[in-house]
Amino acid sequence: MMGPRGVLDREILKPKRVGATLGRLSRYFAPYGLVLLLVAGLIIASTWAQVISPELIGQATDCYIAPAVARNAVTNASGADGVAIPGMEDMTGGDSASQSNCWWETLAPDAGSDELVSGLARLVLVIVALYVGTSIFTGLQFFLMTWAGSHVLRNMREEVFRHIHRLSLGYYSKNEAGDIMSRITNDMDTLQQVMNFALLQVLGGVLLIVWIIYKMLTLNLVYALISMLVVPVMILATLWFSGQARKAFRKTRQEIGNVNANLQESISGVREVQAFAREEANIENFRVSNAANRDANIRAVAFTAALAPTLEALGYVAIAIVVGVGGIALLRGQTLGGNLVSLGLIVTFLGYVQRFNQPIQQVSVLWTNIQSAIAGAERIFGLLDEAPDIVEAPKPVEIGQIQGRVEFKDVTLEYNPGELVLKGINLHAEPGQTVAIVGPTGAGKTTIINLIPRFYDAKSGSVTIDGVNVRDMKLDSLRSQVGIVLQDSFLFSDTVMNNIRFGRPEASDEEVMDAARLAHAEDFILSLSEGYQTILGERGGGLSQGQRQLLAIARAALADPRILILDEATSSVDTRTERQIQAALEKLLEGRTSFVIAHRLSTIRNADQVLVLKDGVIAERGTHTELIDRRGAYYDLYMSQFQREDAAPATVNGQGPRVAV
Amino acid sequence: MFQRRKKGEKGQGGRPKPSFRDLGRAIRYLGHYKRMAIFAYLFLFISTGAQLMVPQLVQNVLDAVTSGMIAQQIGNVPASFLPAVLERLGWSAEQFDTFANRPEIALYWAILFIVIFAVARGAFAFSQTFMSEQVSQGVAFDFRNELFEKIQRLSFSYHDRNRTGQLMIRATDDVEKLRGFIGQGLLMAVQALVLLTGTLTILLFTNFRLTLVILPVLPLALILFMVFGAVAQPLFAAVQEKLSRLNTILQENLAGIKVVKAFVREPQEQAKFHVAAEDLMNQGITVGKVFSFLFPVIFMLANLGQAAVLYYGGVQIIDSTLTFGEWQKFSLYLIYVFFPIGQLGFIISQMSQASASATRIFEILDTRNEVMNKPDAKPLAAISGKLAFENVTFRYFGGGDPVLSNISFDAAPGQTIALLGATGSGKSTVINLIPRFYDVSEGSVTIDGIDVRDVTLESLRSQIGIVLQETNLFTGTVRDNIAFGRPDATDEDVIAAAKAAAAHDFIVSFPEGYDTPVGERGATLSGGQKQRVAIARALLLDPRILILDDSTSSVDLATEAVIQRALDKLMQGRTSIVIAQRISTVRNADQIIVLEKGRVVGVGTHTDLMETNPIYAEIFSSQLVEDAVVDEETELVAAK
Repeated sequence: MMGPRGVLDREILKPKRVGATLGRLSRYFAPYGLVLLLVAGLIIASTWAQVISPELIGQATDCYIAPAVARNAVTNASGADGVAIPGMEDMTGGDSASQSNCWWETLAPDAGSDELVSGLARLVLVIVALYVGTSIFTGLQFFLMTWAGSHVLRNMREEVFRHIHRLSLGYYSKNEAGDIMSRITNDMDTLQQVMNFALLQVLGGVLLIVWIIYKMLTLNLVYALISMLVVPVMILATLWFSGQARKAFRKTRQEIGNVNANLQESISGVREVQAFAREEANIENFRVSNAANRDANIRAVAFTAALAPTLEALGYVAIAIVVGVGGIALLRGQTLGGNLVSLGLIVTFLGYVQRFNQPIQQVSVLWTNIQSAIAGAERIFGLLDEAPDIVEAPKPVEIGQIQGRVEFKDVTLEYNPGELVLKGINLHAEPGQTVAIVGPTGAGKTTIINLIPRFYDAKSGSVTIDGVNVRDMKLDSLRSQVGIVLQDSFLFSDTVMNNIRFGRPEASDEEVMDAARLAHAEDFILSLSEGYQTILGERGGGLSQGQRQLLAIARAALADPRILILDEATSSVDTRTERQIQAALEKLLEGRTSFVIAHRLSTIRNADQVLVLKDGVIAERGTHTELIDRRGAYYDLYMSQFQREDAAPATVNGQGPRVAV
Repeated sequence: MFQRRKKGEKGQGGRPKPSFRDLGRAIRYLGHYKRMAIFAYLFLFISTGAQLMVPQLVQNVLDAVTSGMIAQQIGNVPASFLPAVLERLGWSAEQFDTFANRPEIALYWAILFIVIFAVARGAFAFSQTFMSEQVSQGVAFDFRNELFEKIQRLSFSYHDRNRTGQLMIRATDDVEKLRGFIGQGLLMAVQALVLLTGTLTILLFTNFRLTLVILPVLPLALILFMVFGAVAQPLFAAVQEKLSRLNTILQENLAGIKVVKAFVREPQEQAKFHVAAEDLMNQGITVGKVFSFLFPVIFMLANLGQAAVLYYGGVQIIDSTLTFGEWQKFSLYLIYVFFPIGQLGFIISQMSQASASATRIFEILDTRNEVMNKPDAKPLAAISGKLAFENVTFRYFGGGDPVLSNISFDAAPGQTIALLGATGSGKSTVINLIPRFYDVSEGSVTIDGIDVRDVTLESLRSQIGIVLQETNLFTGTVRDNIAFGRPDATDEDVIAAAKAAAAHDFIVSFPEGYDTPVGERGATLSGGQKQRVAIARALLLDPRILILDDSTSSVDLATEAVIQRALDKLMQGRTSIVIAQRISTVRNADQIIVLEKGRVVGVGTHTDLMETNPIYAEIFSSQLVEDAVVDEETELVAAK
């Protein structure tokens, strides 16, 4: 199913605490303990059947066939004329080695052909039964293992997912979503493969090898040792080749990464490539990385290509040794390890040495897979052990419907120890007020609003709503009453309808459409191929940034929160549309406590309070007109940000834009 | 855009009908590596031959043993009876002598040969695999290069219809599938056939009746393998689909964690995830069921074949129509019969996939490029920058409603033309026609009186500087990116361009200055920095004609002024076609062209249009009035 290549070209990870991780993993398997016990029993049964069948074939040889081989020589020689040839009679019993080796059924030395055939038939039936049994046992163990493994994996997945929701935003600001994602998916993937497939192969393979070795040793110690001479060579060859292959495949992973990066960049930037007439140079570049990829692959495959033929050749050598040594001993009538070698024993050993090849290859190749899976499990547990920063108070206050009075008292906050992002913020917003927050990038505008729905906790000071500290509130009831529209509004790959309904799952279609109309989103929604039922691409792909923001506004409107936060909510909406939704936005703000981070003047001018944030402190506060009159930080900011148009021509003369001030 | 994409998806979703003609065409790529391929196939025959010899030699060993045993027994017979006995056994006196006195000689020889053939088998099998890998990697290399070359040259209209991700899959997955089949699958198929026919021939000659016993099992096994191939593919695809659905939920919840938390959606998302996880699990179990059934059954068939040989062969030995060695040889050869059948089954399922991949790859390679050099295209000499549109009409993909109808305007060298209009009015299309990213459907675009379709693309585009709204930087240093259109530019030129674009200061503030790596794997520049690099890049070409998409981007407002200054500098003394957003650009333009639904609805200067053109006045007030308000207020404040 999976060639050595498919396994060897994976990244290997070394687990650090194997014992603890396995212990913890086994707890996930605990509910399926009975199934696992059954699987173990089935592994033993199928391995036993595989070990016993070559021996039975040997018995068939020694009990029924070897006597016939010997006797046929006699009957041939004696001929039909019935003249007895002296000296032949004692051969009719066959060779003594076979006789002594045969334990299945002792037939009288003069048993007829019919007896031999019917005896053989009985034995073959037993063997057939064994083969059928092996298949059933193998099938069952695979199925049961897949079943148990899938359940365990599903449980782990859901646990991880729930934990992801518990972790606070602080965790996500320190860890890239993409990184967490690829870790979870890769680790789960390796775990799944090992649980469903590799574990059984390795366990079964090891057991088979050990059992066969044991069986051979007990059947004939010396003969067994000689026959197994090549086994260590096989193991060494496998280890060496797969080790080399892994190293070489590491290089191919880099190279194919380069090829992909090159493709990605050149295709997505094709317009610029053509605009600057860079096609030829690009094609040449690609040729180079493409060739490097080819060469790395050829090199890596040299090792995997060598592994299988080497093992096959060694297998043939093993066969040569078995038949050669056995045959010579038989011819000379010598004993090996004190026992006579019979034809049947040779046949049995022939069967055994042929069975070595595959498990050795599988075990060595899959073993590192198991290692990687343990390391993967370790990392998943590491994620699960990550303690969430924000946890609900043990006895949270049921707040019911809030009024919307928001108060910050001496709030400080740091993302990294020692780096204060907010330094003593005080603010007070009455229910229904609009608070505009302005300031340069990095001043801490978003940080302030993140404290209201408790995405972060203040380091010191307090944030209260209607006089209740947000830390003491039930998280659900707090957040469900705070609506947020973000600059980069996130949409889900679902219908437009469901995306708007996101904040209020029980809203009717009519309510959703009302919200969409309010946000002036209905026009473009209806122009989509299936209107409200259009399924958006991943992250709302296919919509412009502005359209996504309109949907986010509709979403917030539908949620009907007491406190509304607009974080650059209309930054990507074009000016025309923005003017259109301006009225709607004002309606939306009406009667709610609102916090607005905006770059458009109109919103700020109508705010009840304008807070000017600079380096984590509120530098100025007041209404728009008050602040303009004051000619302080707000006035400067306002001048540099909003008054820019007529400054441009001045630059031609080499003067800055502030010349007008 | 959205609807078009939808359709595209459907087109891709339906599996293209595998046409074996395409596969045949792909196989001809082996011809690029003729010598290597021939050697690979030659080695295949040698290694398979060596493999076929081994069971025969095992028989020789075993027959030598049994003959020796018998000869030893016959040694007891009185000399007078010997000739009669030998005659009945069909042995000559010399043979008897060998069997009786030197039985081990034959045995030694056979063993020696087994070892020799084992080594030969190993060596040639390795060479064969290695060479076929070289060939297959070579074929993949060729396909990728051809695809890349084609994709790089295909015009914008092609790229409008095809997404980067899809094209990448063609160049990676599809090439890989084709490689697997052409490079290895074919060889494996030939090997399987050679091994199968070789084995069956030997078996038939060894013992016709015994061969007939196992023959019926073969088609059964082949059918099972093919069923397996046919069943496995969609099953795996289903698992993959369920997995990706699960991962989408995970991915969205990670990337949109803030929204999820803000709207308290955890319970619903967890429920969604639970359903997806359950789905995936059940699909996995279904696959498990099928595999747990099929694999053991196939394995059992092979074993039952062995059991049949054990019994019928045994009966034949008892009847003395078969020797012991032949019997063992049969059971060894039997492995050679089942193994290639498994391979064939696998290759057959691989083949239909490969042929679908071939179809998709050739679909790209055979795409007719809509914008190409005319056969008699001449290089465009240095231009002065006179630009004219004459009755230009344009339709996307050569059909449907015109995006532009009957557009005409003239730009004298050095003039600035501002294009104004709502989204979808055709502004971008106008600028895309100048460097021939698309070709007009009717009418003509001329530069210095020469139709752009009559000159070579390279000479045309190298004289036009373009700054697009969204800037892509490429892997390489900052310097490489500025010199993108003129790789031979000197450091002085690059620095001068960067200075003019107000990019020099931030570039030298990087520890590695102009050698700072950027692009996919390099440092990320901010939006404003990228845009300034793009301006420097256009500036370095020192083009006579400049195309600017001056739309507001999500650049930090403070840097916008800096960019504006750089742009103004860039436009000086060049014919500039600008999609205008800023009031200053519009006011200072020599001509403003107002577009609506692909038609020119007004041409003139700001003052002309304000008076004569109601549409312009409307756009102006809606789009620009806020800034005007700011201006007024500033004046107000200044007056205080």
